Amino acid sequence: MNRFDDPNVRAMLRAVQKPARYTGHELNAIDKSDTFFQLEDSARVHFALCFPDLYEIGMSNLAIQILYGILNEDEHTFCERVFASDFDMRQLLKEKNMPLTSLETGTALSDFDMVGISLHYEMAYTTMLEMLALGGVPLESSKRQEDDPIVVGGGPIACNLEPVADFFDFIVIGDGEEIILEIVGALKEKKKNKINRRAFLLSIADIPGVYIPSFYAIDYKENGHVERIRTLEEKAPEKLTKRLLRDINEAPMPQKPIVPNLEVVHDRMVMEVLRGCARGCRFCQAGFTYRPLRERSVETLLETADSLIEHTGYEEMGLLSLSTSDYSQLEPLVRKLLPKTEPRHINLSLPSLRLDSFDFDLAKEIAKTRRAGLTFAPEAGTQRLRDVINKNITEEEMMEAARTAFLNGWDRLKLYFMLGLPTETDDDVEGIVTLVRKFIAIWDNLPQDQRSKRLNVTVSAAFFIPKPFTPFQWSEQISVDAMREKQKQLADSLRDRRVSFSWHEYDSSVIEGVLSRGDRRLKEVLLDVWRSGAYLEAWHEHFDAALWYRALSKLPGGEAFYLKAREEQEYFPWDHLDLGVTKAFLWREWEKSQEGKTTTSCYDGCSACGNERYRTGVCPGSELGFGGSRA
Amino acid sequence: MSEITSVERQRLMLFYRRRNAASWLAHLDTMHLFERALSRAAWPIAFSVEAYNPRPMIVFALPVGVGVETLSDPVEVVICDLDGTFDVKEAVSSLNDKLPPGVKIVGYEWVDGEHKSPMARVKAACYRLEAPGIGKAFSNVYDSGEPILVKRVQKKKEVTVDLRPRLLAVLRSDGDLLELIGGAGSTDHLRVDLLLDALYQYGGLDEEAALGARITRTRVFLDAVDDEKGIIVEMA
Repeated sequence: MNRFDDPNVRAMLRAVQKPARYTGHELNAIDKSDTFFQLEDSARVHFALCFPDLYEIGMSNLAIQILYGILNEDEHTFCERVFASDFDMRQLLKEKNMPLTSLETGTALSDFDMVGISLHYEMAYTTMLEMLALGGVPLESSKRQEDDPIVVGGGPIACNLEPVADFFDFIVIGDGEEIILEIVGALKEKKKNKINRRAFLLSIADIPGVYIPSFYAIDYKENGHVERIRTLEEKAPEKLTKRLLRDINEAPMPQKPIVPNLEVVHDRMVMEVLRGCARGCRFCQAGFTYRPLRERSVETLLETADSLIEHTGYEEMGLLSLSTSDYSQLEPLVRKLLPKTEPRHINLSLPSLRLDSFDFDLAKEIAKTRRAGLTFAPEAGTQRLRDVINKNITEEEMMEAARTAFLNGWDRLKLYFMLGLPTETDDDVEGIVTLVRKFIAIWDNLPQDQRSKRLNVTVSAAFFIPKPFTPFQWSEQISVDAMREKQKQLADSLRDRRVSFSWHEYDSSVIEGVLSRGDRRLKEVLLDVWRSGAYLEAWHEHFDAALWYRALSKLPGGEAFYLKAREEQEYFPWDHLDLGVTKAFLWREWEKSQEGKTTTSCYDGCSACGNERYRTGVCPGSELGFGGSRA
Repeated sequence: MSEITSVERQRLMLFYRRRNAASWLAHLDTMHLFERALSRAAWPIAFSVEAYNPRPMIVFALPVGVGVETLSDPVEVVICDLDGTFDVKEAVSSLNDKLPPGVKIVGYEWVDGEHKSPMARVKAACYRLEAPGIGKAFSNVYDSGEPILVKRVQKKKEVTVDLRPRLLAVLRSDGDLLELIGGAGSTDHLRVDLLLDALYQYGGLDEEAALGARITRTRVFLDAVDDEKGIIVEMA
C-alpha cells in the first residue's frame, strides 16, 4: 500500500514542519519494493544508510550519495536512507509509539539486516544513539540479539570512534566505497549459511579496514591513560590498517544522484576532483588521514558533469576537495566545463581554493555574472604562528591576491582564523587584527573608480581542537576561560563598521575536544547525556553544555583530563589504528612545529609520512621507493 | 544575454498533477522542482534578465499548500524558441520523463499574449476533501447560514475571517466526501486548511480526521468560473 493513502501518515505529516523531509520518493531515489522482497530472505541484504542529522544535512553529503549508488547497483541489496527526525516528528513518534523508519519504504530501523551510520562530526553521537533507540535497535553491540541488525560505522571521524565503539558491531576505517560490497557479500554468506553474529564478525575480522571493537580490550593505568590495547581474538589484527582507494578513477561518483525536493544545505551538483591533501597543515585531520592525494582525471569528471547536468537540473556545480586549486588539471577542467554549464545558466562553484595559487583570470571567467565572496583561511595572524601550523602562505601572497580580487570587482572578504593554537601568544591574536587592517588598507588605497563601492569583511574565529592522527594530537586544548579571554581581546580590537566578527561556541568546542581524543570510558558519559535528552546537538540551539559537564564530572579528572597535553611516549586510545601516517612522522612534525619549522607539501618533496607504502597518488616518496622505511 | 524580441517568446500554460510524496512540498520547493525538471528536459525557457541573477520565467497561477494534491494546476512558462524547433507535444512527453515520482503534466495550452498574468487570471478553485464524517461536519457548520468565523495570523496579528463568502459552491457533501468551489487568488481566497479547522471546531469533525484528511485541488478556474463540465450545481 502507498503509505500516503494512510490517514495516520497524513495526519503526522500535516503536524510537522517541512514534512517533505520524511516522504522520500525524490527524483533518482531508488525503490526496489516490487522486486527485492520477492527474493528469498537468505539471498538479499536490506541496508539502512543512516546520517545522524536532519534530512537537509544528510542529503547534502556526497558520501551518502556515493554509498547509496554503489549498494543499490547490486540487485540483491536494497539500500534505503534514514535521517534523524526533527524534534516535532520525534515527539509524534514517541507519543504514537512508532519506530523511526526509512524514507524509501517506511521500514523500521530494527527490520533491516544492516544499519550503516556515516559519521562526520562528534556532536552527532547523541543523535545517533537516539536514532538507534527510536528505530528499536539495542544501543550496545553486546546487547543485540541474533534478529537485530548488524550496526556498522564509518566516515571521516572513524579514525577515533572509541567513545562510541561499544555501540558498533564493527567500524570501517578508510574509503567506504572500497570495502562496502565486500561487507555486504560477507553478510549474504551469513544469511545463506545461517551463521550467528559472532561467527559473522569472526569471518570479517581479517578484511583490511574492518575494526571490531568487541575483539579488543583497553587496559587503563591508574592515572586514566591507556596502558595497552589487547586483542581478544586470534583473528583480530594487532594493527588495523585503513582501506585505501588506490585508483580513484575506478571509483564511481554518483551519475544520477538523488535530487531532494526540498531545499537542502548544499543544493547543487557535486564532483569530487581530489581526495586527500598534499599540504600537511598540522591541525587538519582530514589532511593527514586521507593521504595520499589522489586526482580524478578530467575525462572522468567531464563525463560525470554531463550526466549530472542531464539528471539533476541544478543551477550550481561544485568542485569538491580539501584544496581544489591543488588539482593539477584545474584550468583545463574549468575551460572544458564552462561550455557545458554556461548555456544552461549553471554556476560553477569552487570552494576550498587556496589563494596562493588563485588564478584570477580563471576566477573571472567562472564568475562572469556573480561575484561570490572571497574566502581566505590564513588560520593564524602572524607568520611565526602560520609556520608553527605549517600553513604555508605568506602575507605578501595574501595581500597580492586581495588586491587583484578587489580590482576585479570582489568586495566581500571572509577570513577564517583559529584561536588557541599551540604556542599562540597575545601578539599572535593581535596579529589577526593587524592582518585584517592590512586587508582593509589594500582596499582603501585603491582608486575608488577601480574597485566596488563598499567593502564587507567577515572574520570568523574557531577554537583550535587537537585531533588524533595530526601532529597536534599531543597538544593541550585551551580552557573555556582562555577561549573567552582571547575572543574578547579580538572582539575589542576588531571594532570597525566594515568588519563583522563571529566566533565558535566555547563549550561545544570543549566537548568536541573531549570526544575527539576520547576513549571508551566516555561511553557512560554519552549514555548519560543522551538519557538527559540531548539530541541534534550539532545545532547550537539544541546543545546543552550543562548536561555534558554534569556527566563528565562523574569521571575522574572530568573534561580537563581529555584537554591536557600528552606525553611523547603516551599510548593513545587510537594507537591500534593505522591511518597511513606513522606516529614517528607525526612526532617529528610536532617537534618541528615547536621550532617554527615548516614542511613542504607532497608536490615539492617527500616528508616520509608513511603513506609511501601505498604507492599511489601524488606521492614522490612512493616513486623514490622510500616505502616508509624512514618513518 | 542577447536581446530577445517578444515575437520569439511564447507563453505556454502547463497543467500538472501532484500526488503522494510530492504533495507534501511547500510552494517554493515546487517551484524549484519545476525549474530543475525543465532544465533536465532542456526546455528553451526564457530567462528574466534582472540584475545579476537571471531566473527562468516560470509562474504558478496559484500557490498550492503543503499536503494538497492537485489534478490539473496551471503553471505558465515562457518559451524562447529561437530556432523554431520546439515541438510542444514531444517536449511535454520528455518533461514527464524528467519529473520526480508523483508529478506529471496532464495538459497544456498556448496562451494568447493579450492575457493577463496567470496569477491575475485565477478566479476560483475546486477542492475535494476526504475524511471520515466530513459531510456531516460540513452541514453542521454550513446549513445554519451563519458566518463561519475562523482565526488566522496575518502579518503577526490575529484576524478573524468569515469563510462563508469564500465558499462559492458546494458540489457534493455526504458521508466522508466534500466537494466545493472556493474563491481563489488575490480576493476572497479560500484556504482549505482553515475550513478543516472550522469543521473541527464547530462541526464536530474529529481532530485526527481533520489532520488526516486527503485534500485534492481538482481544478483551478482561470478567467471565469464556468460550468462547461457541468459540475456546478449550486452557487452560493
